[in-house]
Amino acid sequence: MEAVINDYISRELVQDASLLPLENTTQLLETGILDSLSLLRLVIFVQEQFGIVVDDLDLVPEHFASVDDICSYLRSVSGGKAGQASAGG
Amino acid sequence: MAEAEAKAGLRLRRAEGFAYWTVIAPLAACLPAPVAYRVACWRGEWTRRLWPQKRAEIVRDLRQVLGDQVSEEEAQRLARELFRYRSCEIMDLMRLRGSARSLTKLVEIRGREHLEAALAGGKGAILCTGHFGSHQSAFSAVSADGYPVTTIGRWDWKYDTTVSPAERRFWELAYSRRVIRHRRRPHLEPWPGRFQVAVQAAAALRENEFVTICSDAGPLGAEQARSLEMPFLGQKARLLPGVVSIAKLTGAPVLMVFIHRSADYQHQTLEISPPVSMQGDTRTAFERVVAAIDAAIQRNPASWNLWFETDVLARLGLVTATPPAETAEGELQQSTR
Repeated sequence: MEAVINDYISRELVQDASLLPLENTTQLLETGILDSLSLLRLVIFVQEQFGIVVDDLDLVPEHFASVDDICSYLRSVSGGKAGQASAGG
Repeated sequence: MAEAEAKAGLRLRRAEGFAYWTVIAPLAACLPAPVAYRVACWRGEWTRRLWPQKRAEIVRDLRQVLGDQVSEEEAQRLARELFRYRSCEIMDLMRLRGSARSLTKLVEIRGREHLEAALAGGKGAILCTGHFGSHQSAFSAVSADGYPVTTIGRWDWKYDTTVSPAERRFWELAYSRRVIRHRRRPHLEPWPGRFQVAVQAAAALRENEFVTICSDAGPLGAEQARSLEMPFLGQKARLLPGVVSIAKLTGAPVLMVFIHRSADYQHQTLEISPPVSMQGDTRTAFERVVAAIDAAIQRNPASWNLWFETDVLARLGLVTATPPAETAEGELQQSTR
């Protein structure tokens, strides 16, 4: 899952090439990679890719601070199914 | 001496503003509309006389932006209308009490079929406007008509560190409380750092609701990077194309909405456009949105509230920045950019 999310963010959301290659621990909000609109794009991607709808109440910085945090959050709401689905293809 | 006079003037304006917001307008709003809006116009005239610096600033900005289209006399007339409209907008707000019937009966909605068509499409709609006329109350009128409305917008007093807690509380009670009553969801405030706004807007659209947005707000520091330079009011202005980005990502149609006040000051017409084409890249689609706002302002310059806010005009790149003394604390004023 980390690889899929990292790849999407690197490809679609990173504007500043100096931030690439993106580490899974890179702070996405602090570096400006994620703003309001790029988060929307990411949420739509997550929904299409993993079938997970992000609840409004879950839109807190801790869940989107880094690729690792995003994946932890997604696993917590999907009960691990998302990671398996992604790993399976 | 001059400084003392300026401070006395500021105190007087603030006292007058406080009295109008808390006593005069709420009481006058209970009177028949012709009387209520006559009171609002008197008050507008009074504040215009009380605040010559702001009057001069508005006239200068009008002439600087609109150039030869506006003579000195016409700019003075527009400034007078701006002051009157501003007071009328507060009256509109006060008439939102209860079911808002005392306001909605004065607002004719044209283009309701576009709202219905959007709902039938199942993706909600983005109702886009500028800081034009009584736009907040107009959206409340749409909401009071039974349509689910949520607003994206900044309430500056919540973030401005120069605003005291007491003043902040005042605006909560006098302004936002009245507006929020007629919104489906809490206000979505796109202040830098509030990264969840677009997702929350998309959630409302997914529920087949309406989301309103003003696309003429001047970008703040961190937003400059994603603003686009667009032809606007005969000049180049930096504007944020968020409306197009959200529309493209969610598939929601964008309807342009403008409210015009009639010559009697009490009646208003809310015009809702058919969907704006989102074909082409973001810039191309956004040019259509900006052109619609531009046309509405050119048609009725006195309805554009941002003439009152030179700092925003400067952020847009339309005028040169001026000393902030009169814009920051010139009067007790709400700001909803």
